[in-house]
Amino acid sequence: MTAAILVTGGGGVGKTTVSAAIGVAAARRGLTTLVLTVDPARRLANALGLAELGAEPSKVEEEPLLWAAMLDATSSWEAIARRHADPAVADRLVNNDLFEAATGQFPASQSYAAVEEATAFVKQGKWDLVVVDTPPSAGGIEFFTAPANMTDLIGGRLLRWLTGGSIPGRRFLFDRAARPAIRIADAVLGAGLFERVTQFLMDLRTTYDGIAASSAEIDRTLSTAQTLIVTTADPTPMREAIRFFRDLPTNAQHPTSVIFNRSLPVAWVEATTPDDDPELAANFARWSTESARQHRLRNQFSERYSTEVTTMEWQRTAPTDLDSLEALLTTAGGYSLENLWS
Amino acid sequence: MLDKRFIVVSGKGGVGKSAVAAAIAKSAARAGRNTLALSMVGNGMGLGAHLGMTTLEFKPQQTEPNLHALSIDRSKALVEYIQIQVGLPSYATFTPAVRAFDVLASTAPAIREIVTMGKVLWEVKTGHWDLVVADGPPTGQIGSFLGAANTMANLVSSGRVADQSKWMREIQMDPTATELVLVSVPEELPTSETIEALEWLEGHPVVASRSIFANRVLPRLETEAAGTGLAADAASLHRSLTAEQAIWLERLPTRLDLPFLFGAESATVVADRLADAMGALVS
Repeated sequence: MTAAILVTGGGGVGKTTVSAAIGVAAARRGLTTLVLTVDPARRLANALGLAELGAEPSKVEEEPLLWAAMLDATSSWEAIARRHADPAVADRLVNNDLFEAATGQFPASQSYAAVEEATAFVKQGKWDLVVVDTPPSAGGIEFFTAPANMTDLIGGRLLRWLTGGSIPGRRFLFDRAARPAIRIADAVLGAGLFERVTQFLMDLRTTYDGIAASSAEIDRTLSTAQTLIVTTADPTPMREAIRFFRDLPTNAQHPTSVIFNRSLPVAWVEATTPDDDPELAANFARWSTESARQHRLRNQFSERYSTEVTTMEWQRTAPTDLDSLEALLTTAGGYSLENLWS
Repeated sequence: MLDKRFIVVSGKGGVGKSAVAAAIAKSAARAGRNTLALSMVGNGMGLGAHLGMTTLEFKPQQTEPNLHALSIDRSKALVEYIQIQVGLPSYATFTPAVRAFDVLASTAPAIREIVTMGKVLWEVKTGHWDLVVADGPPTGQIGSFLGAANTMANLVSSGRVADQSKWMREIQMDPTATELVLVSVPEELPTSETIEALEWLEGHPVVASRSIFANRVLPRLETEAAGTGLAADAASLHRSLTAEQAIWLERLPTRLDLPFLFGAESATVVADRLADAMGALVS
């Protein structure tokens, strides 16, 4: 049985680094671990000893139990089309010149591609633990809501109406009710483009059964996974973290812990320090203000949302190797992330 | 910069794009320019928070003297677009048709972007505002938004959309009217994304002028003293961080630096303090 840890949070908070740190620590505790990331930071790949991350899991050379791979929404979307549509239809979908634009633009499609691919790795049963660095869109919520959104989109009444249900050839083009839509489309797009869009959507419709079945599976996997939120004490990522708690998706567990990355030492809060150098005294004073602010926000947050809090120290430099990644975990304060696998 | 008519702000997620957009808008408003701040993607909560609003509407709301704000709701923008731009009568925009078209629009390349850009540039074109500041798409999507007019012009050679794309391009390519602001922070990924965006812009003339803001830049310590106790610890962290930042700042030679804000309690405080810092830079 493979356990999964879903690491969520807004952009720029160090989510990928934290995911990798968890992966290293778990592997060093004897768990065969796969880290999936969406972010191709070159220095992080280097820290893992990999030239670059690919869609296929690759073994981290210096850490026998650790594997890593990157989730690539565009290529995995193609895999999804091939998995859920007839070969001929899949070819037509992938070769349609709208394919790339559409896969990038369906509100839920990138997140859906990521979540389907991630859960497929969990189901393979090859690893004891899969750590997923989730895409940051909508504070991480989209990753959880994507299966339902995708099913709604492809199976929704609107698309059924547009594409004429299951009866081939009976498209809404021949339906009186759709005439205003056609008028708009013709005026805006020109008829040729509109035809191509319609064909594309009709082909997409044939993936519905596959995607609906997949979505149910994905939801089951998500709902048994532990979730972690990574944030910093800055207003924007905090707002995203709060949003995750407020709109907690029904298929997500209450977060095991909220990790405050880039935390300053608590000893700096409200401390005064004599120093002969006035510039260094002033420098300490401003960092002390920042530390106090962080401390206050963490406490408010943990009380308000009754959650465990883990603090990770603000690193002087980005982690450059496996040891410095693991050190992120071993030097963390508050709720111990070692609880994740014990 | 503030004498432009349209400033669109972009950056990788997490760099403070909305904060910088809010700060630019506040600076302009305080300098007496009738300013509209608008959010182009998402629900506008980020921009709203920095302007002290819990939500932004599709209709402009005043947030302080000389400053209004709105958030672009794609479906409403589409209805407005169809009525104003395409000139279809209102009976053609009844809800099911628009919803159906909305599905088509999310599939066809550049439709969503051209509707959004159309709304933004329409606000610029009306002449109602001295300046429109857009909290724009993330760096990865600049091409599809700013290039929407071009993409559309290539796909459809005639019709109303073809006409729209013409005046849109004219505003974007007017160096006295439009400026793209790329926000970065001195870290690996945001810096490389900014450089990639700049390279892309070299080969794709979609906007006449651009500038770069590096956000959260730490001040340098002048003294070389090591200090004692906690002050020494703070100085040591500070020096390590500035050394790390210097590596990434060096890769963006032409830029304006915005300071790291110590102890900024809220999104509004962040925007106000950035606006103060910006006052000197951009006036």
